[in-house]
Amino acid sequence: MSAVPNAPHDDILRLRVTAKDLETLRALLRETRSDTGGRPHHEADGRVGIDVYATAAQVPALEREGVTVTRAGNASEAGRAAQAEVGSGDRFAPADAVPRGLAAKLAG
Amino acid sequence: MPYLNVTEVESAVTSLATAYPVSSQLITLPETSYEGRTAHALRIGTLTRVPKSSLIMIGGVHAREWGSCEVLIHFAADLLEAHRDGTGLGYGGTTFTADQVEMLVNRLDLVIFPLVNPDGRRYSQTVQSMWRKNRNPANAGGSPNPDCVGVDLNRNYDFLFDFTTAFDPSADPQVSTNPCDPQVYCGPSAFSEPETRNVRWLLDQNPQTRWFIDVHSYAQDMLYNWGDDDNQSVDPDMNFRNSQYDGKRGLPGDLAYSEYIPKGDEDTARLLAEAFCQGVQGVRGVPYKPMTGFHLYPTSGTSDDYVYARHFTDPDRGKVLGFTIEWGNDQAQSPNPFHPPWAEMKKIVLDVDAGLVQFCLAAL
Repeated sequence: MSAVPNAPHDDILRLRVTAKDLETLRALLRETRSDTGGRPHHEADGRVGIDVYATAAQVPALEREGVTVTRAGNASEAGRAAQAEVGSGDRFAPADAVPRGLAAKLAG
Repeated sequence: MPYLNVTEVESAVTSLATAYPVSSQLITLPETSYEGRTAHALRIGTLTRVPKSSLIMIGGVHAREWGSCEVLIHFAADLLEAHRDGTGLGYGGTTFTADQVEMLVNRLDLVIFPLVNPDGRRYSQTVQSMWRKNRNPANAGGSPNPDCVGVDLNRNYDFLFDFTTAFDPSADPQVSTNPCDPQVYCGPSAFSEPETRNVRWLLDQNPQTRWFIDVHSYAQDMLYNWGDDDNQSVDPDMNFRNSQYDGKRGLPGDLAYSEYIPKGDEDTARLLAEAFCQGVQGVRGVPYKPMTGFHLYPTSGTSDDYVYARHFTDPDRGKVLGFTIEWGNDQAQSPNPFHPPWAEMKKIVLDVDAGLVQFCLAAL
């Protein structure tokens, strides 16, 4: 959502934005220049939803008639947790440390 | 093994090249990033007297899509080890025989460039995890707004780069000329960034390239050309080079414009995309969808369309079919599918790598 710049430390939320139809969703995304993830999905009732990433301050700009905004999680918080799963140092620095893939090696 | 940091992606590539000298070769990319990092790629394939067809795979373009590097590093490590030891490969329910691995390594030239955007990955893994662009501040104009740093590398290639002219004003392609757009700023000119010039260099250095795959997330799709509009195979003059159609591109289902693709190319691209998806689904049943890039959303300046466009703009260049993988599940409950917990990412790596092997075998 480039229309409203992020403050440096605002957390980014994962939102499920669902509109009454595809045209409404497109118009919303066009107007807000939202950061999206995934592709639009049609719900059983005909509504169309997509993931949008935005700060809490940006949520009101998404809310309007025919549109539902549901908070799916705090992407920044999950990102900080994921950062703890990033390697430190260099696990391949030793001469005999060669990356191995995850696939099973099958005889023959 | 948790997610690889930037140093480890590079050392993984060099370590593989050292450990498998018969079947691999280290490639040093010519341009350093804004922060001075040198990138490497790995060529996999046994030496032959006649040139082989090449498949280039790139990853780590969008900083926050961490697992793309791991997908490619694990793919390379599995192939090299299985080839050396004469084994097959098992990815859950999708398996490949030793003969298939041997054939793939002997008959294909695989060029794997796992980390195109090292500065962005470093920033995402240590500062702002949701960062997408590179870290070039040149276009910020002195603004203190942190969003004004960086260029979206997958909008910086030379394909309909002047999208404001090329597209219908209501088409809304996912691209921006605003340097402070936090996600999709295309840069001041096509190939303004060293990272995209490195990819172009790889293509120029490998004229026998016939296929190109860019690994991204997330949507569980395998995208093929084109990304600017619907495909059509009837009117060759209705194409991205024809200025007569400026201002008409990018609208779905209209009669004003569709992008020309020869039927044989589209059929081949769809078959290869389907092969990838079949390989993925066999692992644990996860469905990926083959479709054109336009059916995700309209774009300009992307890698997959640039590589395919090259042989139209310069007939001396070989034809390269372009693909983009979007790994990861948008229906997942995870608050951040761009970098899921490593336990989940490992499953995705197996899914996607099985699809890549299947793609290679189908391409042969």
